[in-house]
Amino acid sequence: MSDMGLLRSARLALLAGGLAAGLLAAGAAKAQEVIKIGAPLALTGGLADEGKKQDIVWKMWVEKVNAAGGLQVGDKKMKVELIEYDYQSEGQRASQLAEKLINDDKVQFLFAPFGSGHTKIVAGVGERYQIPTIACVASSESVFDQTFKHLFGTLSPNGGMTTAMVKLFKEKYPETKTIAVLGRDDVFPKSMAEGIAKAAEAQGLTVAYKELYPVGTMDHAAALSSIKATKPDWIYITGYTQDLILARKQMQDLGVTAPIVTMVTGPSYKEFTEGLGKLANGITSSSWWHHATSYTGEGVWPTTAAFYEEFKAKTGGDPDYVHGSCAAAGEVIADALERTGSLDKAKLRDAIAATDIQTFYGPIKFGPNGMNLPRELPIIQVQDETIKVLAPAAIKNADMIAMPK
Amino acid sequence: MKPLPLYASLVVGLAILAAAPLYGDNYVVRTAAIVAMYGALATSWNFIGGFTGYPSFSTAAFFGLGAYVGALCQRSGVPMVVAWAIASVAVAAFAALLGGILLRLRGHYFAIGSIAVVELCRLIVSSWSSLTGGGDGLNLPLVQGTPEDLMRFFLMVMLVILAASLLVTILVDRSRLGFGLRCIHQNEDAAAMVGVNTTAYKVAAYTLSAVFCAAAGATYASWTGYIDPTDSFQIVLTVKVVVMALLGGAGTILGPAIGAAAFVLLEEVFWANFIDWNRAILGLVIVVLIFFLPGGLLSLRRRLMPGGAA
Repeated sequence: MSDMGLLRSARLALLAGGLAAGLLAAGAAKAQEVIKIGAPLALTGGLADEGKKQDIVWKMWVEKVNAAGGLQVGDKKMKVELIEYDYQSEGQRASQLAEKLINDDKVQFLFAPFGSGHTKIVAGVGERYQIPTIACVASSESVFDQTFKHLFGTLSPNGGMTTAMVKLFKEKYPETKTIAVLGRDDVFPKSMAEGIAKAAEAQGLTVAYKELYPVGTMDHAAALSSIKATKPDWIYITGYTQDLILARKQMQDLGVTAPIVTMVTGPSYKEFTEGLGKLANGITSSSWWHHATSYTGEGVWPTTAAFYEEFKAKTGGDPDYVHGSCAAAGEVIADALERTGSLDKAKLRDAIAATDIQTFYGPIKFGPNGMNLPRELPIIQVQDETIKVLAPAAIKNADMIAMPK
Repeated sequence: MKPLPLYASLVVGLAILAAAPLYGDNYVVRTAAIVAMYGALATSWNFIGGFTGYPSFSTAAFFGLGAYVGALCQRSGVPMVVAWAIASVAVAAFAALLGGILLRLRGHYFAIGSIAVVELCRLIVSSWSSLTGGGDGLNLPLVQGTPEDLMRFFLMVMLVILAASLLVTILVDRSRLGFGLRCIHQNEDAAAMVGVNTTAYKVAAYTLSAVFCAAAGATYASWTGYIDPTDSFQIVLTVKVVVMALLGGAGTILGPAIGAAAFVLLEEVFWANFIDWNRAILGLVIVVLIFFLPGGLLSLRRRLMPGGAA
């Protein structure tokens, strides 16, 4: 029977270890009265680059809020605590950590991680516990069509990106007749690929080629060769930075080109232009936000320029739309707290739904599905290895050029 | 292990997990459910990897397929529990057919073939958009109820799957099948020569290693309410399960489940305390454990009490 005794004690030890860890976390959480925001983040794994961007701006925001005494809740100011965990780019982990944040750390709000897929997972947990979840990097309407009542997104629907782009390009290059679309089979890139094909057809273009490539594709040669054979006037490729750098390099190797080449999200990220150097020149794209805009509004950063300066001083680089949108997500919470003046879950949820604010990132007002309302989104192009804005007219700083031969 | 202590520790272990709602909050209950889930996966792997000695890496394929079959059934209106059952049966049939082909390979070749199954399933599911939604993934109807009730419910379901897999392990261990599988492990040619139908036995082991994974996958899909190809067919999941089984003791009855519990708890502890270094520390712990305890945690018994156990 001695082996049974040992087994039992081993089991108890394991269990005790687990329990102790849980208790420690719970004890630390109860120590002070603060606003707690939980964020499952991809700090390692496939989405680490994007996760780190969220991490930077959220920390900047929290630091600034706390330096000013905290957030106004009723007649007192409360400090903000951001609790982050690395979910290692694994969906299962993300939902587990969201649960941990709600149960152990007792967070009042959740920030959703990068990407539409993982946003869905985290928002599902938030919905069950009725914790408001702010998603700053999910733009696919399919994320917001699940009748979740506690999910709000600061990006505008990506449908708005396609129609305006087709219109602008047709104006500039009236001889554009055919388009070839290659999209990554993943929530956001797929919806962009399908959206552009629909918008192009609606405005009289012929879709000469349209295919999706699976996540993790390491070679686009076959698809690019097929595209070359159709001699399109416009090549439109969607995916994330690594996919698009690879596609652009292979286009060069195979001699595939067109007067217009668009890559989404490509040039929205500085990693793209840095990775490609001269090859990036001429590539167009659309984005949700650009630091050349000049919005003013409430919050810790009163103007776009103020945010830009501080970001640049802190990191040495330029912020992109992920930085802008995620930093603005904090303002949504700040505004809701100020208006309700309490920490009541239901009141806060309703207050967020009624958000109508101006920020450095632009206006934030949620539609019935919880998404930020559509607005004019910037269309950008790489010229001389820097990002120029082609539209909308208010922030335009360059004319469109044809793809260099 | 003698039968009585074996049953006793099995019951105690399951009871500790089942009682999680009594002593812990939802996070602890969730961890218990994850322990049960991985326990079931590792115990399943044990049939082919432990008893038979075939290094299979197909766990994630069965788990993912189970999730997808279950999700598709549920979306077309099949009640949840029935959908889980259909997923288990369908994936078991798939494994039996696949096993007939794949199990002709041995050693490293089989290992590589079984990894390819995971990638292939992922690619097919992700490309077959009309059926599976491709990269968009699938939404499942959210199960209604308070978070506490739901968590308890899914803990119980995972425990039932774990208990079933352990029960079948005990039955196999005592039967001709288990004996035959061990013969194959030691020397496949010799086993064939003395009259063990090696192909049939191996296919049976492979199928058993699939059925509980599929059930766990289908349950998991209903639990999260959203699945996509990248998360459903994860190579990391496959590797983790094998590490768990080795950690506890491959080829033993309780070893894989104990390994799963130890692994999940270690992971949680390192996570909570060393956010930046948790993966490195976990990796180190695994290397040390496997290096110094090649027989798994269960072999501690023998080391600590030379006279104590068999």
